[in-house]
Amino acid sequence: MELILSTLINGLSLGGIYAMIALGYTMVYGIAKMLNFAHGDIIMVGGYVIYVFMAFHNPLLAILMAVVFCVLLGITIEKVAYKPLRGASPLAVLITAIGVSYLLQSLAQIIFGSANKMVTVYDFGSVKFLGVTVQVSALVTLAVTVVVMTALTLFVKYTRLGRAMIAVSEDKGAAQLMGINVDGIITITFAIGSALAALAGLFYLLKAPSISSTLGAMPGIKAFTAAVIGGIGSIPGAMLGGILLGVVESISYKITAIAPYTDAIEFSILIIILLVRPTGFLGKKRREKV
Amino acid sequence: MKFTKILALVLSVVLGLGMFAGCGSVNYAETNTEYVIGVSGPLTGGAAMYGVAVANSAQMAVDEINAAGGLNGVMFKLVATDDMHDPTKISTNYSSMYEGGMQVSLGTVTTAPGLEFKNLSADDNVFFLTPSASGDDIPANPNGYQMCFADGNQGKVAAEYVSANFSGQTIGVFYKSDDAYSKGIYDQFKANLDASVTVIETTFTDANTTDFATQIDTLKDCGFIFMPIYYTPASLFMMQAKDIVGASTVYYGCDGFDGIDNIEGFDITTIPQEVTMLSHFNSKATEGKSKEFIDKYVAAFGAETLNQFGASAYDCIYAIYGAMKNAIDSGKQIPVTISASDLCDILKAEFNGGYALSDAVTGDGSPITWESTGYVNKGAVKYVIKEAN
Repeated sequence: MELILSTLINGLSLGGIYAMIALGYTMVYGIAKMLNFAHGDIIMVGGYVIYVFMAFHNPLLAILMAVVFCVLLGITIEKVAYKPLRGASPLAVLITAIGVSYLLQSLAQIIFGSANKMVTVYDFGSVKFLGVTVQVSALVTLAVTVVVMTALTLFVKYTRLGRAMIAVSEDKGAAQLMGINVDGIITITFAIGSALAALAGLFYLLKAPSISSTLGAMPGIKAFTAAVIGGIGSIPGAMLGGILLGVVESISYKITAIAPYTDAIEFSILIIILLVRPTGFLGKKRREKV
Repeated sequence: MKFTKILALVLSVVLGLGMFAGCGSVNYAETNTEYVIGVSGPLTGGAAMYGVAVANSAQMAVDEINAAGGLNGVMFKLVATDDMHDPTKISTNYSSMYEGGMQVSLGTVTTAPGLEFKNLSADDNVFFLTPSASGDDIPANPNGYQMCFADGNQGKVAAEYVSANFSGQTIGVFYKSDDAYSKGIYDQFKANLDASVTVIETTFTDANTTDFATQIDTLKDCGFIFMPIYYTPASLFMMQAKDIVGASTVYYGCDGFDGIDNIEGFDITTIPQEVTMLSHFNSKATEGKSKEFIDKYVAAFGAETLNQFGASAYDCIYAIYGAMKNAIDSGKQIPVTISASDLCDILKAEFNGGYALSDAVTGDGSPITWESTGYVNKGAVKYVIKEAN
């Protein structure tokens, strides 16, 4: 029982981070119809901004700066790298995104070096929870994720801006005809995604106070997997996929015989989903006219 | 045209002759008045701490031997050259020492230059016993021996330590299953471990993994956790595990732990558990030969450069001295002008024939012997990097 509980808590908190990142992927895909592979690296940038501002020993300031910086960075990347390619082939955009990803990683390596940097944002310690010792940061991560996701869902459903976002994702042309500023909506989408990535960076630092230039690479790909499993373009799908992937990872690491193959298992799920249900669990089936 | 041809011919003859220079059995030690021991190490630069420790300690041993009358009245002389841990410096260093009369060597202090040194010394058949170049290939040629554990040998040594101390108990292992260093050590560990020891193992694969919550949960009840990994993931594991695993748990690493108490942003004193590493020398020893060495070294050179490299070099000098003495006692002739190659054959026969160094500073106190492969046989000690709070 204890074993199940601790595995579940670890899986949920990890899944919460994946979900947070997956949201960025899924929203950008849903609205701009592009895969922003540089999204994972925004997490890393967020982490480094926190590292830099922790010099002032003020966690709240550091977190705020990370969010602001990542939002500005996300908007800049969209304006400089992706906007000129609007209407270009999806492959060109994809390659550009990969290029941006490498650019961010290399810049971080030039500025901060290749060795890991250690930074303790805040030590929450740990608590006994139903007989299991849990890191409080895991619970905080879980709680914040739930709050953020609820807020995001409500925002998209019930505000003008949110509904405009849905409209753009449904039909860009029609939305434009209805007077929605499509470019503005895309910019806002990038801003929200980047802010979430900054928070994901914070959660990584809360879990383990170490940061390197490739911090975002694997979580980015895992979150992308989560987004596809849940149904890319779907906000609840990203949450579901993220949580599912986190729990699978946690359970897999628990079983000695399969632990070394954890990554392979996670990506196998992606392949199976793509074969069996290409739209993911909550994705919309869309008939393509040829 | 003709001139060019003649020039080409002359040049090729000159270059061809050059190839033969240095061949033949020139004995550069003909004019020696002392036995000359050479060593190349980083005396300056980023790794200077290691090279300086080796040079200091080897000199200390040489001085002691000379003060006690040398070997049958013949004194020893140490020649230390600076390679700055740069393999390209080795050929110059080696030639200057070899042509300067070096008869036996401590090889190099670090592995990368050592890979150059092993080939040069093999060509001339110069015996070397390196204090600290731990690469598996360092003793690949018949003239090379190690005083430190070879990288690949650490799993076996760790298994012996755990088998002796945790018979019938359960221990935890945390390793990186896709890393040659980590998996290599762990595979050897498992193969040599006493069957009565139960192992709970957990692993990670992605080098960027920083979240070890699941792994920590798996090992949380283990009183002893073996971690054949590098210090960065190890430090992250310890930070996240500090409240979860028992305060009396002992972390035990291999040479990948070297430097764990010196990571920027990681304060090892905040970890309640004991952090130890497999080593052949305990620089905090409070008794025995190690303690004697520590006291002498600190008195002469201060504590900054006191480390296992120096202790190992000290043992190397005594091992070479002891083997030469053994050979002489058994009727061999070792004149002061003996060629490096002749001395190498004598020392190889000694080291391969079961020569044992007792009363060593490194190891667990039992005599140190060598395999004919050049690998050392000695007991590991638990070097405590940080005691339990």
